Amino acid sequence: MRFLRTCPALIATAVILSGCGGDQSVLSPFSDNARTVNVLSNVLFIGGFLILAVVIVLAGLAAFGGAHLRRRLAGENAVVIGGLVFPLVTLTPLLLYGYALLGAGPNPLDGQRPLKVTVIGEQWWWRVIYTDSKGDSFESANELRIPVGRPVKLSLTTADVIHSFWVPNLAGKVDMIPGRTNTLTLSADTPGVFRGQCAEYCGGAHALMAFKVVALPAKEFATWLDVEQSQAREPRSQVEREGLELFLANGCGGCHSIRGTAARGTAGPDLTHVGGRKSLAAGVLPNTAESIARWIRDNQEIKPENRMLPYRSLEPGELSAISSYLSSLR
Amino acid sequence: MIPGFSTPRLRALGSWIVGSLVAVICAALLFAWSGLYNIAASSGHLAMTRAFLEFGMRNSVRTQSAMIEAPALDDDVDRVRLGAGHYQGGCAPCHGAPGEPVNPIAEHMLPPPPTLAPHVKSWQDKHLFWIVKHGMKYTGMPAWASQNRDDEVWAVVAFLRRLPDLTPEEYRDLAYGNASAQRRPVTALLSSGSDTPDIAACAKCHGTKSAGPTSNLVPRLAGQSEPYLAQALRDYADNSRQSGIMEPIAAELDEQTVKAVAAYYAGLRRNQDPRPEPSLTGEHDAGEKIARDGVADEAIPSCLSCHGENAAERYPRLAGQPQRYLALQLRLFRSGVRANTGQARTMAAIAKRMSDRQIEQVSAYFGSLRSFSLQPDERDAALTAPEKQGANQ
Repeated sequence: MRFLRTCPALIATAVILSGCGGDQSVLSPFSDNARTVNVLSNVLFIGGFLILAVVIVLAGLAAFGGAHLRRRLAGENAVVIGGLVFPLVTLTPLLLYGYALLGAGPNPLDGQRPLKVTVIGEQWWWRVIYTDSKGDSFESANELRIPVGRPVKLSLTTADVIHSFWVPNLAGKVDMIPGRTNTLTLSADTPGVFRGQCAEYCGGAHALMAFKVVALPAKEFATWLDVEQSQAREPRSQVEREGLELFLANGCGGCHSIRGTAARGTAGPDLTHVGGRKSLAAGVLPNTAESIARWIRDNQEIKPENRMLPYRSLEPGELSAISSYLSSLR
Repeated sequence: MIPGFSTPRLRALGSWIVGSLVAVICAALLFAWSGLYNIAASSGHLAMTRAFLEFGMRNSVRTQSAMIEAPALDDDVDRVRLGAGHYQGGCAPCHGAPGEPVNPIAEHMLPPPPTLAPHVKSWQDKHLFWIVKHGMKYTGMPAWASQNRDDEVWAVVAFLRRLPDLTPEEYRDLAYGNASAQRRPVTALLSSGSDTPDIAACAKCHGTKSAGPTSNLVPRLAGQSEPYLAQALRDYADNSRQSGIMEPIAAELDEQTVKAVAAYYAGLRRNQDPRPEPSLTGEHDAGEKIARDGVADEAIPSCLSCHGENAAERYPRLAGQPQRYLALQLRLFRSGVRANTGQARTMAAIAKRMSDRQIEQVSAYFGSLRSFSLQPDERDAALTAPEKQGANQ
């Protein structure tokens, strides 16, 4: 009978735990850094479980054991051993082990072309600035591309409130704190797309502040970097030309930059290659021309309080021209 | 228990009171049902009734307006002129004006709308404000057409303060503004069948070919784009843009007239009206910086990205608009009064990010401009070219 009663609880636990794997999970590590975090967590979980078991046994003995045993458990020696010596000999090595694991990252300057990337948390999106060995830099947003197997050194800071940069598959979380720059070395073993998210409550749209880390094989990464660094491609069709004109005439350039055009605003994400990104609006929408149009018009309904202006006055034809143009910027 | 009042006696007293009340209510209903009360406006009120109604009215106005704080209005010319322009169209038909008698139809209302000049002095500014804003039940005095435009109501109050001292000539200058020269006798109105719009109603406050707006609280329409002007009139007409002054005017225009008025003003050359070179006031330089670059940290885009010469025609051009008008509109955007159309929502979102200081700065900048790019000059040159040729011949 008792088993029948606990059975549903066990099944429910198993179902819930099965959701822990896969996308955006600490339990599926794809880098050395994430693996050490994973190992350390497992050591803690198993160790904690064993200690709990010992404590339960001792508590049982203290309650139901013989008089002799109970006297010994209540003695001074038990307090000294169980309360002082035991924590000291378990926690101290654990702390040192943790330091050793997390501190020993791979050397970030191994590559021939050291890449410096700055990620700035803003309410509620991510400004990403790549700087190459020559010191030239360019901007992107809401997506970070890194070469497989080559560590990239991230400088993490914020433009407003505290955010936290977290890609569970690749690394532990690091806070972005006003007036301070934290660093994180990020790497990935295999090509793939890893989801990340702001892990520190940062205001209204915090839950909708995600990003993607795309790990590319070295060659593909180099090609992508060349493209990303270049100016926006010229509009090629009549609709795209109209889209660019409307983009400029309706003031979009007041907040957004498209390198190679008159749009030079810096308040919002750089859109020079927006069409090539995996998602829109910081991981909120799939990146299609339709969702760009929807976003321009209804962004306050899709992501309440976000700082993009609502443009409900644009005609459907104008919206589709602008979104076709933006979508073509790969 | 009070001595002398036993329970049965109290009961009897209660029944008597209830019975009397029921009798009075029945009598009142019977009287109303019979139709014996004469509600004719022609029959007037008894002197006693009039005195009682006025007593109640005066006290109601005083009590209801007790919490209102009046701004300093002393001879604020911008407010006086704007208020005068509205008074002429919105108030004078019933209340009359210096040199203009009350319409006989209005004269036969009950109570008859008073000639205001002798009465104004018996009220404080906040009392006048309350009356103009809220109107009065049972008198025919309507409330202000837009309950969230207190700024406009204060303009009327400022004008009312001046009203008692005005001669008919002074009144005409104030109230008809740029249209005063175009007043025509009734015979001319009867024979007019011209297909060009009579823009006297607009020119009262706005501008004409040769004159700017009469008040710094009124925008300059000359050279504004046609789609923008037409849309503004439509927004006023369907109450999606709030103004107790513009809504009644726009509501009377049909689509054809809207287009004609918009075309007329769009066709005028911008900033050609004679006016003193605007002085660079306030933090004009800081305003220019915001207008050109925005404030990226505060997510304020540059004003010129939508209000520059190359922007879409749906947005107004701001160069040369009165500083006071711009600051007022930015505050209306910011407080959400002007945020009911798709386009106004866009601007309201920006204005909410602006401080009072930034509002004054950008308003000072745009107010100090006459034109800020080559384009309008080129257009002006094209427009003036035929005249020059004529001069050469």
